[in-house]
Amino acid sequence: MTINWFYFSSPSTFYRFAGALAPWFFALAALAATAGLYIGLVVAPTDAQQGEVYRVIFVHVPAAWMSMFLYFIMAAYAAMSLTFNTRLAAMMARAIAPTGAMFTFVALWTGAFWGKPTWGTYWVWDARITSELVLLFLYFGFIALASAFEDPRRGDRAAALLAIIGVVNLPIIYFSVQWWNTLHQGSSVSFKGTSMHVSMLYGMLLMALASWMYSIGTALVRVRAIIVERERRTRWVRDLHPAIPRSVPG
Amino acid sequence: MSHDFYLWMSYGMTAIAIVAEIIALRARRARALLHVEEERELEAQD
Repeated sequence: MTINWFYFSSPSTFYRFAGALAPWFFALAALAATAGLYIGLVVAPTDAQQGEVYRVIFVHVPAAWMSMFLYFIMAAYAAMSLTFNTRLAAMMARAIAPTGAMFTFVALWTGAFWGKPTWGTYWVWDARITSELVLLFLYFGFIALASAFEDPRRGDRAAALLAIIGVVNLPIIYFSVQWWNTLHQGSSVSFKGTSMHVSMLYGMLLMALASWMYSIGTALVRVRAIIVERERRTRWVRDLHPAIPRSVPG
Repeated sequence: MSHDFYLWMSYGMTAIAIVAEIIALRARRARALLHVEEERELEAQD
């Protein structure tokens, strides 16, 4: 059986598809977050060196992962929109950016509140932290550039170029702890294994799963709003959303 | 300062960020639907 991808790349088809899927992703996100928070805050033992403050990792690490994953996916959609000139890919790139920026902000914020009791400071111009801050500015730049043009298609192209150029920052973030002598610690989790207690690992992975599901859900809801904004003059959008009553007859 | 403060600040801001994003999403959708309605009214006037 082959899937006709062109069928799903039509905004009108994808609008309905996204509407049907989004609630399921939010439900899965809520379930995974509930289990992850329970394991992270109740089941996982206190860290021998850091005490209770290590529990920040259950939001910090998934947020930092998502900030990079989402940027990569956003840039992939941007490249797709430039290469194939597909409207939906550009809309998806726009839909992902605010959630990516939110996770980058959360990663920086929670990192600061983990750093103060652990390192004695909220902020250092460390390679990992600085490159993560650059990532936040890249997201802001993408959002600003995409909205800076009267014609959204021009905004799509300009922002797509920025997103593709900004991909160079991702390996810098990831390998910064190996390339430079940084205050930020190296990865505790890798494909080779982990140095964490198993309950800590499960809590973190569940929170990462919740972050993925939430990100997909928000991207789907946002892309629906973007489709309505762009296609509001088309018949199918007007047929989909019947007239909204302005006042209730008395 | 106790570790509770750092934990509350971290989890609290994460919750605020998520709630703010959801509110912004709902507002954007409502605005988009309002624009559809305005287009419809403009067309009716023509």
